[in-house]
Amino acid sequence: MSTEDTMHNNEHDHDHHGNFWTTYVFSTDHKMIAKQFLISGIIWALLGGALSVIFRLQLGFPDMDLSWLKPVLGEWIDIQGKLDPEFYLALVTMHGTIMVFFVLTAGLSGTFSNFLIPLQIGARDMASGFMNMLSYWFFFTSSTIMFISLFLETGPASGGWVIYPPLSALPQAMSGSGLGMTMWLVAMALFIVSTLLGGINYITTIINMRTDGMSFTKLPLTIWAFFLTAIIGLLSFPVLLSAALLLIFDRSFGTSFYLSEIYIGGEALPNTGGSPILFQHLFWFLGHPEVYIVLLPSLGITSEIIATNSRKPIFGYRAMIGSMLGIAILSFVVWAHHMFVTGMNPFLGSIFTLLTLIIAIPSAVKVFNYLTTLWKGNLIFTPAMLFSIGLVSYFISGGLTGLFMGNSAIDIQIHDTYFIVAHFHLVMGSAAFFGMLAGVYHWFPKMFGRMMDAKLGYIHFWFTFIGVYLIFFPMHYIGIAGFPRRYYSWTNFDTFNGFTDLNMFVSIAAIFTFVAQFIFLFNFFYSMFKGRRATANPWKSTTLEWTTPVDPGHGNWPGDIPKVYRWPYDLGKPVNDEYAAKFSDEEMKNVPDFIPQNIPFSKTPETNFPNENELIALEDEDDKAIEVK
Amino acid sequence: MNTQLHIMEEPKKTFTIHPKKFAMWLFITTVVMIFASLTSAYIVRQAEGNWLIFELPKILWVNSGIILFSSIFMHWAYVSAKNDNTKNVKIGIGAVAILGFTFLIGQVMAWGDLVNSNIFLVGNPSGSFVYVLTGLHSIHLVGGLIFLLIVLKSTIKLKVHSKNMAQIEMCTTFWHFLGGLWLYLFIFLLLYR
Amino acid sequence: MFQVVIGIGILLVVLILFMLFRIGTLLDVVKGSNQKVVTKSNKVNAALFVVLLVIGFGWIFIYSYVYFDDYNLPLASEHGVETDYMFWVTMAITGVVFLITHILLFIFPIRYSYEENKRALFFPENHKLELIWTIVPAVVLSVLIFKGLQVWGDITSKAPEDAEVVEVMGQQFAWTPRYPGSDNRLGDFDYRLIGDDNKMGVDFTDDGSYDDFIPREIHLPKGKPVLFKIRARDVIHSVYAPHFRVKMDAVPGMPTSFHFVPTKTTAEMRVETGNAEFNYELACAEICGRGHFAMRMIIVVDTPEEYEKWKSEQTSLVAQNEILFNLVPDDKKELAKVKGKVKTEVAAVESSEEVKK
Ligand code: HEM
Ligand SMILES: [Cu+2]
Ligand SMILES: [Cu+2]
Repeated sequence: MSTEDTMHNNEHDHDHHGNFWTTYVFSTDHKMIAKQFLISGIIWALLGGALSVIFRLQLGFPDMDLSWLKPVLGEWIDIQGKLDPEFYLALVTMHGTIMVFFVLTAGLSGTFSNFLIPLQIGARDMASGFMNMLSYWFFFTSSTIMFISLFLETGPASGGWVIYPPLSALPQAMSGSGLGMTMWLVAMALFIVSTLLGGINYITTIINMRTDGMSFTKLPLTIWAFFLTAIIGLLSFPVLLSAALLLIFDRSFGTSFYLSEIYIGGEALPNTGGSPILFQHLFWFLGHPEVYIVLLPSLGITSEIIATNSRKPIFGYRAMIGSMLGIAILSFVVWAHHMFVTGMNPFLGSIFTLLTLIIAIPSAVKVFNYLTTLWKGNLIFTPAMLFSIGLVSYFISGGLTGLFMGNSAIDIQIHDTYFIVAHFHLVMGSAAFFGMLAGVYHWFPKMFGRMMDAKLGYIHFWFTFIGVYLIFFPMHYIGIAGFPRRYYSWTNFDTFNGFTDLNMFVSIAAIFTFVAQFIFLFNFFYSMFKGRRATANPWKSTTLEWTTPVDPGHGNWPGDIPKVYRWPYDLGKPVNDEYAAKFSDEEMKNVPDFIPQNIPFSKTPETNFPNENELIALEDEDDKAIEVK
Repeated sequence: MNTQLHIMEEPKKTFTIHPKKFAMWLFITTVVMIFASLTSAYIVRQAEGNWLIFELPKILWVNSGIILFSSIFMHWAYVSAKNDNTKNVKIGIGAVAILGFTFLIGQVMAWGDLVNSNIFLVGNPSGSFVYVLTGLHSIHLVGGLIFLLIVLKSTIKLKVHSKNMAQIEMCTTFWHFLGGLWLYLFIFLLLYR
Repeated sequence: MFQVVIGIGILLVVLILFMLFRIGTLLDVVKGSNQKVVTKSNKVNAALFVVLLVIGFGWIFIYSYVYFDDYNLPLASEHGVETDYMFWVTMAITGVVFLITHILLFIFPIRYSYEENKRALFFPENHKLELIWTIVPAVVLSVLIFKGLQVWGDITSKAPEDAEVVEVMGQQFAWTPRYPGSDNRLGDFDYRLIGDDNKMGVDFTDDGSYDDFIPREIHLPKGKPVLFKIRARDVIHSVYAPHFRVKMDAVPGMPTSFHFVPTKTTAEMRVETGNAEFNYELACAEICGRGHFAMRMIIVVDTPEEYEKWKSEQTSLVAQNEILFNLVPDDKKELAKVKGKVKTEVAAVESSEEVKK
């Protein structure tokens, strides 16, 4: 053990420690894999954002000459410089797929679960570094295939990110349903394998590799969030795999799982007896849990950041865990709220209305707990803290609109309008993105040993925070006015032919927000090499990752893994009456306002509560017991 | 001020399970989810009507017997390994592998029977589902066979014995799971005609 | 040339920004402000939340107040009154919650921003509070659900017997309506019968089909229940009539339906909106391919008298197109002639006219 540890100390001499390939490419170190996921996620986010800018140009400036995009889009821009309507749908589809799966699932969970799980539970690495590496490379292969599909002559998949058949099953219906859709399915199958490998690893690690004392009631909320996310993923992604499998059979082998009584392209297809609705049930059985797979990690990250930067414990630690558990369980029984107007049995619709509105309760609890954590805190606005507050704001505004749509009677009118687009971009898209950005700002010092520039972070935050609201808030209005989503243009309808100005406004806001992300990019890459050197615990935080050296090497801790004695939120703990009576003002001031998890109670008599003092004796015995061994 | 806190625990060792075995159970969970969703899809689809009813091939009964039988051998091999009886382990695993292979052949023959009674992959979903369910199960069984061969190889290298049970234990679990999964599918298909 | 200038300009701006950034960071190091826990920025950020709160909510309220009518889609159905009412009740409740939570969220930053010698309140738990904010939302939600389910039950109940039946079929990329004619019975259909002439796949061996007609616009009677029987020919579409608050997917192989009562004629709506051009429209709300955004059909709501008159003026399918008439089995041709009011000689002429239009 000890020789191994000294080896870790010499990590930076990088003489005996692997070559370029094993260190940076086929690495099995969880921190490197996390960075790989992060960088891939950032690249995908840029691409996904760029796609949205193109279709926002179409919506905001329908008369614009897009010829200048010809070098990139080629045939998809016609001679008059108009975007092809089918490619518009391809853009929307790929934007959704990329953002939901590649950025906010792989980029977010992949980065932070990998990075934080071993560091925060006190483990040297993941349960299986090899599986972890496989997980990344499956993701990479999947990404490559999805990326290549963007350049197919027939276009990438274009049937919406939910790929409802028959549209996605029949190349006659749209050209994107040909090879593009095949590649989409292959890429997603690989993606699912990647997610499952990752998830199995996360769960195994959290269950089996916690350091001594790290019971489930002492886990940071981040870990709880990652844990539940992985479980949700493990239970729901296989279902998407089934759905995709049956779709592949329908597409390639002529079965009729989802196809029935179709006349298309001048001929009646032989398929009968299939049910398109079946696909929707299977898809949304994944699809709804998926939105929480996207959101929960962000909620975990912000819980941690808000507590740290409020200098007080997260309010209602147990309630937070409880609400996440509630959300995780309920997320499996609400899927059909996406299908109220599919002609599904109305009684089922009632049941799902009921269950859907129940899921709003744990969400509300989380919001109130965040607010109470801020209340009477000593708030430090690091960029990470700002983004966390931003997340709470989006979570509220997007969650509230859920109450409209969860009510099946109201949903009839607003289903598939821009109201939905506003809802999920706020509550899922932007909130999860903010969680991710907050996480990057917060853990950057641990990832790269340097600090990101705070001022640029502030500018980035305010531009993005306001920008996102400027994009999505007006969409509620457009949605209330009835505008359907996934429309190439609205000029064909008198009903929808107003609001050109508003659409233009939204598009400008979108471009503005997109451009603002380059501030982050610059900050990120610049700070990686030139940023101010970080200290080991720059935010005065309590969790275990901050007890590692500035640049934790392979194995994370040079010496023994720290043991855990207390919960992760001993922030701003008051001096107890006994000591308050005898401490001078100066002494009072010097009591630190945070106590890391690895500090035994015996070292902090001045802040212990009576029941904690009782534990001290035991601690000592335990230490001895281990030493004897 | 509220001073009522959570109860502190001692830094005692955390509860752990063998990570590989645990990961294997998680993998089994995902497989369960796949088949659970497919059989749910089957029920949902069946409820919508236009559902062709046909006889399942009789040979599936035989196949079910075979796979049950193979599980007995698997258990025997496992117990033998516990008793360090390498020879019996080898015989046991070999027998399981042969039975598993026979099962696969039996499944292919069942498909042949289906074709003979004019039930094709392409056609009414009631038939397609049978093909997909059996096919997907067979693919997992092939995975199980490969696992068996790996264990067989370790056994030949004398790496499987009472002090080193993890691998054969996992293999046993997986094989029993595959058997159980098949029985579930078979009974499901018998009940939901 | 022009592009080059712009390019150089952008480059210069970026460079200048970069220099400013470098100087800023260097100054920070000189001043030592990078060593402190918080800098002046802390107060600035906190204050910005308040600024945003005031400007943001001010803007939202004023804009919503001034432009309310622009966004409030005119309403013309019975159940729409209920759903719109619920929508605005939900809006009121969520609006209040939105306002309160945001006031707290955006005021706390400035109220509790960092002070060197302050200690945050150690406040990890309070069961009473937690219980309250679990129960209060639960109660409010129950009320919303209760009302919602009631309305939902009405909307999705069985259509009244006397409802006017209109079949609406979606296809890439148009809607086709079919009326049952004077016998009030839609003829059977089979997707295998679909062809260039018989685009809805009507089965002309069925007596019910002889007086069916396919108009170019959908007409509906005011004040009478209407039942849309909805199906799709190729992929999923969704019947969306925004003014009637009607939306229902059109699914191939799985007919669906929606019934409602139109409450205002097109003419009345023209007066109400002050728009002489006003028309009710039918749109598609489910992505269905390249022409998804252009699946428009006009819906006209008439007074019951006008409606009956319009109906009696329509030409049946068999009368419109000889090819379709020839699909009728010989022993039923007479019946078809009577029911479909076929004027044998002119049938062919009319259908060719039809094609020209
Ligand atoms: C407060 C609780 C919430 C309720 C009651 C709710 C309800 C709903 C309903 C009923 C729909 C379907 C609307 C329609 O298509 O007509 C929907 C769509 C959606 N929701 Fe939520 N939601 C809630 C929170 C969330 C959260 C937390 C997320 C993400 C993290 C989320 C993500 C989405 C997404 C992505 C869609 C749209 C999917 C699509 O059609 O493309 N929702 N929500
Ligand atoms: Cu959902
Ligand atoms: Cu459409």
